[in-house]
Amino acid sequence: MKLDFHKNHKLLYGTIFWGFLFLSLIIAVLPALWVQDATKPLEWDEPMTELERRGLEVYISEGCVYCHTQQVRPIKMDEVWGRPSIPADYAYIDRPGIWRQTPAVLGSSRTGPDLSNVGTRQPSAIWQYMHLYNPRSVVEESIMPSFPWLFKVVENPAPGTKVIPIPEDYAPESGKVIPTERAKALVAYLLSLKQAPLAPPSQN
Amino acid sequence: MTEPSSLLTVPRPLTVKKAKAGERIDTSEDSTRLIYWYIACSAFWLFFGTLIGEYLGLKFAWPELDSQSWLSFGRLRPVHTNVVFWGFASTAMIALALYVVPRTSQRELYSYKLGWVSLGLINISVFAGSICLMAGINNGGQEYREFIWPVMALFAAALVITVYNLYKTVALRKLKEIYISNWYILAAFFWTIILVTLAYLPGYQQDGLSQTVVQGYYMHQGVGQWFTPMVLGLTYYFLPKLLNKPIYSYSLGVLAFWTQMIFYTMIGAHHFVFSPIPWWIQTVAIVFSVGMFVPVTAGTANFLLTMKGSWRTIARSYSLPFILVGVLFYATVSYQGTLEAFRSLNKVWHFTNYTIAHSHMSMYGFVSFLIWGGIYGLIPRLTGSEPPQLSVGIHFWLALIGVLLYSFALMIGGTLQGLSWMGDNAFIDSVTLMAPYWVWRAAGGTLMFISHLVFAWNVWKMRPAKQPETKTQAVAA
Repeated sequence: MKLDFHKNHKLLYGTIFWGFLFLSLIIAVLPALWVQDATKPLEWDEPMTELERRGLEVYISEGCVYCHTQQVRPIKMDEVWGRPSIPADYAYIDRPGIWRQTPAVLGSSRTGPDLSNVGTRQPSAIWQYMHLYNPRSVVEESIMPSFPWLFKVVENPAPGTKVIPIPEDYAPESGKVIPTERAKALVAYLLSLKQAPLAPPSQN
Repeated sequence: MTEPSSLLTVPRPLTVKKAKAGERIDTSEDSTRLIYWYIACSAFWLFFGTLIGEYLGLKFAWPELDSQSWLSFGRLRPVHTNVVFWGFASTAMIALALYVVPRTSQRELYSYKLGWVSLGLINISVFAGSICLMAGINNGGQEYREFIWPVMALFAAALVITVYNLYKTVALRKLKEIYISNWYILAAFFWTIILVTLAYLPGYQQDGLSQTVVQGYYMHQGVGQWFTPMVLGLTYYFLPKLLNKPIYSYSLGVLAFWTQMIFYTMIGAHHFVFSPIPWWIQTVAIVFSVGMFVPVTAGTANFLLTMKGSWRTIARSYSLPFILVGVLFYATVSYQGTLEAFRSLNKVWHFTNYTIAHSHMSMYGFVSFLIWGGIYGLIPRLTGSEPPQLSVGIHFWLALIGVLLYSFALMIGGTLQGLSWMGDNAFIDSVTLMAPYWVWRAAGGTLMFISHLVFAWNVWKMRPAKQPETKTQAVAA
């Protein structure tokens, strides 16, 4: 058969189509399948709770991934964020349903800090709520957006309601700030972000 | 005392008079109407998408600009990227392809009706996708894959319909050869259809990092196997046409084509250098990134050698300067991409705003400029209405100065960010040091945005003139 690509459109476009499909299989689909099958969580790493899972959905829905990474690279400048990330760290993340795909948390930009270990670094739920309500109430130079829609302002919170203490400069004119269910889920997720140790913790 | 030189006394106009577009092309009214509507829609999406981009840029300086959930940074950023990708650039490229493919096949477009259907699908997809994203409904935070599948399926359907239409046109061509433009243009459609399908199918990307492996492939080919071959294919038509001379080397174009297909496909994972995805995929990506020197050099050299000796024609044209800028950015941004893939440089630049500069240099300096070159080269000949030369000039200079300001600000700032992290400074230092660079970026972005308003005005001025028959009747009456 003559390879007259410039005259035979079936040959030309057939090569283009099947060639690319073949390359795609070996560089994307098969490696993905292999990574999926090979990745197991560390046995001593706790699975995500239902609440944390809902928090991950809020994290994705609000687009936190555009400014925060969750990957520690095996290079010196990343040591400040924790140990190098391994595939097992992400093993509990899966597809949330038919409409959406498995979320991406690795991130591509560090406009804000890496969050792989934010649960260890900032373990206070109150700090997390204040920071989400208005980041500048705890970090003056922050340029992170405020998320007031994750909170409600009520005049007389029912007894036992979690009230977030907001510094006067950032507090609403009147009323108390209380978190919505979405805020609670998101904070639970953020606090769960702690890298599991590479070796099993000793039993005693 | 000597008389002042006569050269100095000649009144100098502010602008140089550019050549007219030339004879109106004899083409069917159906074709003109369809192509003009694609361009008009793309001008709208460019306005909308970059209005949002501009607003996002301002948020870096004033994070408390608003406190609406649907206007927040995390929700609007994907609206900006997806609208300019699928709404502006894709629609505009398809418009030009709907002219180039039939023209180089020496026959009419197979079906105008299918052309209208796919324009409708693209608009619905981009509109619905933007609403979803603002409502916080996205596919999972993977860049350029943010539209949920029912929305992206509409866009994919438009691609399938269009490539069917174009394939039929090529198959029924009235000459033996398939012109090189049609290699690139139709390949872009086939590759992107495969790409989008594989990016959205379930099964092999359900758990953990598997979707990140696919993401590297997808986000990279999304640019490199859709926008790149489309604009290169269009330029293989418009550049020789506007210069009125053949392309320098047909074989260089063919070499660049096959090497683009093989090398480019393998390099997606260079977006995840040092990440926990398998090390060998990252290494393959870096090796083939170096291989990209071949298609990029072949393509750029081919275009520049075609331009050689015709610089005066380029200076006298109002469309060719856009193409020249686009070609220069193509080379620059591609070599830059290879450098960014090296592990040593990746350390400094990865995760910083340098990446944002790179993506704007490619999608704007390279892709958008070539699109505008094609639009200004074709539409006046098609509709018989020329845009005011002054406002084309304003568009050109504002867009060029804007993107240079934008990119240099973020390249310098991004490098400083990376060095700050390597210097073990407090993280917040890397935020505060960016403040002046983000202001410069906003300034550059503003110039770019204003140029798009001027572009929209030019598109309006290029609207189809009444057909010549009516003109003669008017004269006769």
